[in-house]
Amino acid sequence: MRPRVLVAMSGGVDSSVAAAILREQGYDVVGVAMRLAPEPSVPLAKRRGTCCSHDDFEDARRVAERMDFPFYVIDLRADFAARVVDNFVSEYLDGRTPNPCVMCNREIKFDRLWSRARALAADYVATGHYARIEQGADGRFHLLRAADDAKDQSYFLFTLGQDELARTIFPLGAMTKTEVRARARALGLATADKPESQEICFVPDDDYASFVEGRSAPAQLRPGSIIDSDGRRLAAHSGVHRFTIGQRRGLGVASGQRLYVREIRAESGEVVAGRREELDSPGLIANRISLVDNSIAPGRELSVEVKIRHRHRAIPATMRVDSGRRAEIRFASGGPAVTPGQACVFYRGEEVLGGGFIERAITEEQAN
Amino acid sequence: MAIYLDHNAGAPLRVEAAAAISRVIADAGGNPSSVHLSGQRSRRMLEAARAQVASIAGAEARQIVFTSGGTESNNLAIFGAVSAASRRRRIISSEIEHSSILAPLAELERRGFDVVRVAPDRDGRIDPARVLAALDGETALVTLGLANSEVGTIQDLAPLATVCGKAGALLHADAAQAVGRIPVDVAALGCDLMTLSGHKLGAPAGVGALYVRDFARIAPIILGGPHESGLRAGTPNLLGAVAFGAAAEAAVLAMGTESERIGSLTSTLFARIREAIPGVGLNGPIAGRLPNTLNLTFPGVLGESMLIALDLEGVEVSMGSACAAGAVEPSHVLRAMGRSVADARSSLRISLGWNNTADEIDAVAAIIPAVWRRVADAEPMPEASAR
Repeated sequence: MRPRVLVAMSGGVDSSVAAAILREQGYDVVGVAMRLAPEPSVPLAKRRGTCCSHDDFEDARRVAERMDFPFYVIDLRADFAARVVDNFVSEYLDGRTPNPCVMCNREIKFDRLWSRARALAADYVATGHYARIEQGADGRFHLLRAADDAKDQSYFLFTLGQDELARTIFPLGAMTKTEVRARARALGLATADKPESQEICFVPDDDYASFVEGRSAPAQLRPGSIIDSDGRRLAAHSGVHRFTIGQRRGLGVASGQRLYVREIRAESGEVVAGRREELDSPGLIANRISLVDNSIAPGRELSVEVKIRHRHRAIPATMRVDSGRRAEIRFASGGPAVTPGQACVFYRGEEVLGGGFIERAITEEQAN
Repeated sequence: MAIYLDHNAGAPLRVEAAAAISRVIADAGGNPSSVHLSGQRSRRMLEAARAQVASIAGAEARQIVFTSGGTESNNLAIFGAVSAASRRRRIISSEIEHSSILAPLAELERRGFDVVRVAPDRDGRIDPARVLAALDGETALVTLGLANSEVGTIQDLAPLATVCGKAGALLHADAAQAVGRIPVDVAALGCDLMTLSGHKLGAPAGVGALYVRDFARIAPIILGGPHESGLRAGTPNLLGAVAFGAAAEAAVLAMGTESERIGSLTSTLFARIREAIPGVGLNGPIAGRLPNTLNLTFPGVLGESMLIALDLEGVEVSMGSACAAGAVEPSHVLRAMGRSVADARSSLRISLGWNNTADEIDAVAAIIPAVWRRVADAEPMPEASAR
């Protein structure tokens, strides 16, 4: 019997091509579109590019019809709300900057969707992610960066372990975006020239602050003061959820020099602003560490490259994982701004070793 | 070949209906309203079909208005009745009606009408006394489904007719799911209006009918030519009407034996599922139900998963009120019957029909428990979905 693969389809070009490739390779493809958020209430003319819209699902359905495999829309709104959106809101309220795509992969695509895959007797789950999975001679699975460096999404996938990798397929890992679009055109897929969706899919107009406020009680918001590095009060603000590390706009501070958010103290409601060079820190503490291959021993110091925001380059660092799934990372030289809540992913060359969530930056004093 | 157990959504075309369509196509007739002989031939076929459809509900042919389907018939009954009874502002219905009843009622509510929706009991029965308690001199219409599409409960409408008549209210029965499955007789029910649907009994979708006892008490909602006694403008759908007539006749002829056969297949299926799946729940009454419909709550699983898993195994069922966009809300019928959101989300509708065989049911009786076990094991009902 042909192996069955459940392909998560968003209606975009990447997952369309992923499904089509697997179908051509002879898999028993079952396409699913996940309804994660309510139908966006945007005017018809603006609907393109939003997620979970009727049009997106119809695009995915057309691909399934063209490639002749079954397709279903599945309703994961309740799980997405409970496991991704609530976390997103509470992280902002706690002064951190969450990465919902990592949470969505961990909680929805490679957990909730995998349960569904087993319920549907599928052997694999596939997505249109740009990342590669390779199996070594020893049978262990390796998670590798995509061939297309500009599209690499391995950062969002660090939570996958051996069990997940063994039953996951990323058909696009070795392709460039240009090749994917060309393939879509060659296959006659309606999604070939669809624009990229960049922003967080469930936040309308990229307006995080309003989104968080709409899902919080007024008492949960933490207003307070913007202060400088010496503790002087510069301005008032209406909630710590409105800030992220490195942010320059929206501080409402008239100052001779450019100021950036360098620290968010949710408890006291203080947002510390400082000069650009004050943002840098020598390292960070990450928690909820997950390793792709559990062969890294606790306590051992390893040389790795770390990536602490999706758009950043990986930089050399040393790391040490403790037995409580926490890790201390020290950058080899002049570290970048560290944003609590974001993912910190460890690489060695092409390979993802694992990662965790940034708890806090290490200060110079602690480093010495 | 898939085993089709979704007859309440739409039955496969009956051979008699297909043959009737072929005859009409071969004849290449004209517009039934035309003067010429081609038109006259078409008119003859249309009127023969009307008589066939009338006979399924014990009506006279002249009381049958062809429509585009059950949805249009329900819209015509509701909007047509309130527009003819200009001063009456109350409409009585129930919480478990089809969307083609509920949506027109919601629209009338927006226009200021007083809509009363009677709640069912746990088995989906509407107590006639509660309907009559809401009836007053302001009531234009009482509209109730004769058999519920999701759970198959048959309503006792007979006690309503006389009282409605005395109060000057029209009684409308939506019999889309009932005709062809149980004996239906407009005189015995005493209703003024009755919705009939073609594709539930083996005609193609796109044709239905409304039985109208008294044309003076209902106004058209589609205006144009004088077709269908002036109640439904537009050149009649001859292909559809002829197929509807043929399917109706076949259903009436087979009624005794077919209902019994389907009823026995349905009972067998339920018995075997109940034996294999402890805790499976039947929604709807044991007696007083459509012989072909099983609405079951499967413990510990999402109905959505069961539905897709069964489809991939070649068994086609439904969630009752499915939505192609994938936002399946828990069934309003099951919720009104007092089921929890979780139980409503764990429920599937299995509806048999004319083309199901004993071999198919034997196969399904094995597949459903096996699929349930796999789904329950792989994907237990998630906490979040129960809310």
